[in-house]
Amino acid sequence: MKILPALRRRFAAIPAARRRQLGLLLLTVAVLAFPFVHDNDADIDSMANAAAYAMLALGLNIVVGFAGLLDLGYAAFFAIGAYFYGVFTSFQVMPLWSEGWAPLAALGLVEKMSQGGPELVHFTLSFWLALPVAALVAAGFGVLFGAPTLRLRGDYLAIVTLGFGEIVPIVARNVDSVTNGAAGLNGVQAPKLFGWSFGIDAMPYYYVSIGLVALLIFVSIRLRDSRIGRAWMAIREDEVAASTMGVHLVRLKLLAFATGAAFAGLTGVFYVAKLQTATPEMFGFPVSTMVLVMVVLGGMGSVWGVVLGAAVLQLLQSWFLPDLTAWTHAFGELVGNAWLQRVDFVESVELIFGIILVVMMLFRRDGLIPATRKTPALSFAAQNVAGVQRGGFVGLERIGRWRNGSGNALEVRGVTVRFGGLIALNKVFLTVPAGGVVAVIGPNGSGKSTLFNAITGLVPAQEGSIHFEGAEILGLKPHAILARGVARTFQNIRLFPNLTVLENVLIGQHARLTTGPVGAVLRLPRTRAEEAAATRRAHDIIALFGNRLAPRAGQTVSGLSYANRRRVEVARALATRPRILLLDEPTAGMNPAETLELAEQIKSLNGLGLTILLIEHKLDVVTRLADTVVVLDHGEKITEGKPDEVRRNEEVLRAYLGRAVREAIHV
Amino acid sequence: MTTFDLFLQQAINGLSLGAMYALLALGFTLVYGILELINFSHFNVFMVGSFIALWTLQQFGLFGQETILVGLPLAGVLLVTFTVTMLATGVIGVGIERFLLRPLRDVKGPAAMITTIGVSYILFNIILLTVGADSKNFPNPLPPLQIAIGGAVLRLREVLIWIIATLLMLALTFFVQRTKLGRAMRATAQDPEAARMMGVEVDRVIMTAFFLGSALAGASGLIFGLYYNFTSFLIGFNAGLRGFTAAVLGGIGNVPGAMLGGLIIGLVEAFGGQLIGSAWADVIIFAILVLVLVFRPAGLLGRLAPNRS
Repeated sequence: MKILPALRRRFAAIPAARRRQLGLLLLTVAVLAFPFVHDNDADIDSMANAAAYAMLALGLNIVVGFAGLLDLGYAAFFAIGAYFYGVFTSFQVMPLWSEGWAPLAALGLVEKMSQGGPELVHFTLSFWLALPVAALVAAGFGVLFGAPTLRLRGDYLAIVTLGFGEIVPIVARNVDSVTNGAAGLNGVQAPKLFGWSFGIDAMPYYYVSIGLVALLIFVSIRLRDSRIGRAWMAIREDEVAASTMGVHLVRLKLLAFATGAAFAGLTGVFYVAKLQTATPEMFGFPVSTMVLVMVVLGGMGSVWGVVLGAAVLQLLQSWFLPDLTAWTHAFGELVGNAWLQRVDFVESVELIFGIILVVMMLFRRDGLIPATRKTPALSFAAQNVAGVQRGGFVGLERIGRWRNGSGNALEVRGVTVRFGGLIALNKVFLTVPAGGVVAVIGPNGSGKSTLFNAITGLVPAQEGSIHFEGAEILGLKPHAILARGVARTFQNIRLFPNLTVLENVLIGQHARLTTGPVGAVLRLPRTRAEEAAATRRAHDIIALFGNRLAPRAGQTVSGLSYANRRRVEVARALATRPRILLLDEPTAGMNPAETLELAEQIKSLNGLGLTILLIEHKLDVVTRLADTVVVLDHGEKITEGKPDEVRRNEEVLRAYLGRAVREAIHV
Repeated sequence: MTTFDLFLQQAINGLSLGAMYALLALGFTLVYGILELINFSHFNVFMVGSFIALWTLQQFGLFGQETILVGLPLAGVLLVTFTVTMLATGVIGVGIERFLLRPLRDVKGPAAMITTIGVSYILFNIILLTVGADSKNFPNPLPPLQIAIGGAVLRLREVLIWIIATLLMLALTFFVQRTKLGRAMRATAQDPEAARMMGVEVDRVIMTAFFLGSALAGASGLIFGLYYNFTSFLIGFNAGLRGFTAAVLGGIGNVPGAMLGGLIIGLVEAFGGQLIGSAWADVIIFAILVLVLVFRPAGLLGRLAPNRS
């Protein structure tokens, strides 16, 4: 009895990375050895099916788990891959033979045949070639379906994809000439390897499925841990913040949709090759729901979780429920209960799916294997590991100087923003000289944040122009404006709450990095170097705040204190390599000491040459930092000048304090 | 039948379908208007409603189409059946809200929507497992009165469906426009936070929205049975998709919009089925949904959901 604790201690002593490798090795051996240990064709077949569903779950996980796009018609892409392979390897579609087909015949893609009548073309697409091609075809359909719909709000996307998922089987059912309608395709060719056909034995399919699952796990993990995966998660967490941090929303959503579709297309080829038939019923709404249940059960966004979810549900259906039914029948016979002898649990599997969805959402939203682990708060000792310094930045020299042009960095000319009948900004003019600090003040509702939103492309302006470094930026999308070098923070803090401090700051660098999806998967030396440099720079920026953030780099930001979240937002904006920084009430909610500290830090950033536009209520901060103060009231600029002048301006006093107070002061 | 007769007949059919979809759309719109939640459980609350109606009618000894009632007995049976069905589905809706959705109200992301999908699936499978997969004959006690308008036929059941649907919609409009709770509901749809601060019991408003929406779905399920003379565990999906499309078409969150959208979708289905073939009706309806969402997301009468940024 003492062996177990001893073993556990041994196991705990192994470093985490090594433990993971060990686990992976054991899993690989177990999976590869399974058919030899358990030589039962039906069970091996069940495992191959489970693997096929794991592939689908991995694909849907990219769409739902990573990018946060709820796709309820995912089986449509499964169907597209399946029919692609089915049609091009069966005898369903047989055009008349002409010499134009000869080159394809030479490649082995088609063959000439005649069934007593005229000579016809029989498609004989290779399984191995079909896998990547079907993935690409499905991805193409993903873009086609996604392009009009991904601009919609997330909840509309759910119902639109539900419709797409419904239409594809309808088309399959009604376009008989291509799909053989409801009867389904028959005589689909089994895969061949060096001339040997897989036939109907489960074993070869099992190993192919394991290989494909391994491939898709690999691709998922590579994508997750890259610039692309971070951008997807940023979209999932907060679309608006993601776009102002340089993430091209439509492009990345389409990419997620297409990648998920590609996974499903690939799976479709495998599944149909294994069954050697395809009917519309194999790809209906219940399949989409089942894959969603797998993702929800395993954990949205968790690669290993969704594989586990798929395995659990598939094996529940093919092993556990039939066994349970048999046991219950036997028990019913024993006690002589007629109902117990009739009951069939396999039929109620969809009921179980529904219950799983509800129970998981209510009690365990992160799934069996959560994608993000909860990190405990720091101990006092751990906090003091990093250099303690209050009042300024630590190691500012590491992030380099800003080079500024001369003249005006930002020129806002006559900008008007209307919301329906409300005029939020009325012909506002404002210039920020390169290397300067301009503060915008004004009572609540005076249009300060609207001004920032107009500059960063979040709200459209009806009149005027906004020039940044001489070029018009009005009308550009937020990510394009960020790319020009305009970065911002938000009054009500918009971080990516379930991501770590480090990930938040890395997303800030999105526009300055270049890794695409292919680069992320291949991870060539160039990509590695880029990632390493980005991580180094992120750590340098985090370290600016001394022990405030550095020891918390690995914590999710939702657990941080209010002031620290503000600091992360500044860090994230700095990571975008801004040429101008827009700070929207950066010290709101901070105590006087924290306010002073941040003001000091902003001043030192400006000292390095960074141009700053600031919204601030605290007049001492404004006086300390700003060269020029612009005062807004009711969407109009009422005055502009040096901080001291503005403080004494009558109109400003009236706007801020009201008439009575002004008279009291004047006494 | 002349082309005009055919047109008239499809108009009659379309208006009846439209009445059914409008009632269903109201449930989507009431809930979406307040919670910004697509309530997928609504699909199958509708389906369960038609079964509750079926069972209630069976309690009166009505099984097939043989027993015909007239006069007071007919009015009484219909009144009781509508009341029982609507109360029962209303209670189901409130239960879903209270026990499954309220705990998730402050959870960001798709959790609530996924829960409603799960609930929908549970309702679907409960009916499938208890009642069976074959469709059930729905009792129809209406006398087979009909008048011929040219070649088209207007039956008593269609007139009755129009009258009942109109009465229900008038009652709902009165409730939303004229009562205190209705006003609270509109206020909550505009700005839940402000409404709460003005003393509106938001929980009660949300519960009312679920009750009313689900009760109307129950009425819609009963109308489905009366119109088609059958019901089945499968009917929720197609009708639900049409009801939702109707809500979006009219402007989601907008009560008159849902009614208008329902009528249009009903007519589109009737005429589209006639012109292109009923196998493609789903595709047409769905194309409308996508086109509206892409080109006019506010719908015909304007979207009235809360402005949360």
